Amino acid sequence: MEFIKNMEIKKLSHYMNQAKIIKPKNHKNKIRIAFVGSFTLNGFEETIQVQCNDEKINCTTYNSPYNQFNQEVLNENSNLYKFKPDIIFLLIDTRTILEDSFYFSNIDYEDEKKKYAIKKFNEIKNLIEIVTKKIQSKIVITNFTIPTYTSLGIYESKIEYGIKEIILDLNKKLKILSKDIDSCYVYDFNSFVTRFGEKNILDYKKMNYGDIKINFDMIPYLIYDFLGYVKPILGLNKKCIVLDLDNTLWGNIIGEDGFEGIQIGPYPEGRSFVEFQKVIKSLSENGIILAINSKNNQKDAMKVINEHPHMVLREKDFSCIKINWNDKISNMKQISNELNIGLDSIVFFDDDPVNRELLRMSIPEINTIELPRDSSTYAQILRNLNDFNTLKITKDDMERKIMYGQEQNRQKLESNTENLNEYLKKLNIKIKIKLDDKITISRISQLILKTNQFNLTTKRYPEEQIKEFVENETMIVGCSEVEDKFGENGITNVFIIKTKSNEWVIDTFLLSCRVMGRGIEEGILGKILEIAKSKGIEKITATFIPTEKNKPSENFLENYGFKKEKENWVFLLKNKIKIPDHLQVELK
Amino acid sequence: MNENKLFEIVARVFNVSIDEINYESNPENIENWDSFTGYILLDEIETNFNVKFTMDESLEIEKINDFKNILKKKGINFE
Repeated sequence: MEFIKNMEIKKLSHYMNQAKIIKPKNHKNKIRIAFVGSFTLNGFEETIQVQCNDEKINCTTYNSPYNQFNQEVLNENSNLYKFKPDIIFLLIDTRTILEDSFYFSNIDYEDEKKKYAIKKFNEIKNLIEIVTKKIQSKIVITNFTIPTYTSLGIYESKIEYGIKEIILDLNKKLKILSKDIDSCYVYDFNSFVTRFGEKNILDYKKMNYGDIKINFDMIPYLIYDFLGYVKPILGLNKKCIVLDLDNTLWGNIIGEDGFEGIQIGPYPEGRSFVEFQKVIKSLSENGIILAINSKNNQKDAMKVINEHPHMVLREKDFSCIKINWNDKISNMKQISNELNIGLDSIVFFDDDPVNRELLRMSIPEINTIELPRDSSTYAQILRNLNDFNTLKITKDDMERKIMYGQEQNRQKLESNTENLNEYLKKLNIKIKIKLDDKITISRISQLILKTNQFNLTTKRYPEEQIKEFVENETMIVGCSEVEDKFGENGITNVFIIKTKSNEWVIDTFLLSCRVMGRGIEEGILGKILEIAKSKGIEKITATFIPTEKNKPSENFLENYGFKKEKENWVFLLKNKIKIPDHLQVELK
Repeated sequence: MNENKLFEIVARVFNVSIDEINYESNPENIENWDSFTGYILLDEIETNFNVKFTMDESLEIEKINDFKNILKKKGINFE
């Protein structure tokens, strides 16, 4: 049962003990995490090791010596540098940054206080800039908690730049900084404290005893949020929410209680579901795909979705709808097929514990959420999941939903078309290839991190490395935009080539699953071969590294005409280069 | 009963068998007991017995027997 994900966050002592007994497993996903702080961070390493292990991530951790955040970052020989982290969590607390000003904030000298805040901010900014330049790691800095006490009492609101305003200002400056620096993120620690309450987070006895500024049993909740940064780095964030209907999206059962009897709307039983649907809708607006998997009479259920005055989610919000009497497992597999997304990209909500158990047993890759009987908890459970984070929301993400809609139109056309070739011709597919284009790096990085199915080598490069490749004269980083009569698919292909004097080696070649099955991969490869030939290259070498998921790309090289040579596949450019004739491929 | 409850908490926090716990258990003879996990133990005892130790009380603790004595002062029965 080790696959079963338990949403329950346990006490710190559980993680302290588990960390000692988890055996290093050879998970494919690996990450190096460093904690750097101004106060005691004991327990952080153990907790993240165990939580990562639960998510099948191999995690190596480092905790900087107590309150040495300056030394660790400023000294290039420090153990932090030697550790070579992929991500650093920098936790500096309000008391440390403000020093005595935390207690004594003078009413008069507003200018002095502003200068002081700028000085403090510049110290932090300097640290972050050094980390991004010299350690080349992602950095997450926690923002500052706004003190709940001020010596000015009620008069605080009357003065310029009181203690609370200083902190608000520092937090705002941090946020602006993180907008400017790609690899820097601000974790809203102030909101974390608001969520759990200051008196539950900070225990003065523990603070005085050992500078412990986060109560033990709150640490695992904080680490759970931190994992929200780790998952998208490794491409483990979820892309789709699949929903049951009765007692999940609305109260009561449509088949029994009828259109009038279901609960959703502005009254106690109905509000929970309105709230839940609004949270779902907001996620879908950020690019999360929605689907329905429900045992019901389709006609009755669709009437609610289309006509009930208080429904928030409507038919157009769902990219795939399976309302039928088939079993939920085969429905789920169909949803995954039709949307072309892996089962491990799915989060499933169902109020029925039997269905949940069934899904967990048969498709453990899906994150089936444990729901209590009380529907008023649903919205908050969804809000607190750390699965839907992205490090970047690209234009493509926002458009993905529209594109999935277009995909459904394409599939409709496919079923109406007599043969595949004619269908493909009717699509008017145009492919535009771009080489070493800096503007596309963030989308390229996103595809490299998350593309599983059509991916010859599944090499995961961080964005920083791709930038290096683009600048490297001996390497080509290419990508392709695909459009057809239904609209633009955006950048859906990436390839990386290492060039030698008479040979090109394909290091990476991937295609987003959205556009698979249309010969696009052959068109792009053909164009690459043509470019190589025009430069006098004689031979192209490629490899296929099998993973659990890349079976769809297994035979691609062989089918194209590559010949096996030891571990590699080779194509000699004296041979005929083919590009499917239903494609228009051009180099930008 | 409360003795058993106390020993169970100690065993759970330090991840040792309850048979190994007695009133003389201390950081010297329990491997996982250090200044940080010792404070986790105090925290768990406070929560489970629904009492609060003062700063001074928490600093007096050297072995499990000290927990018992302080708990007794707070009205927890160890007969």
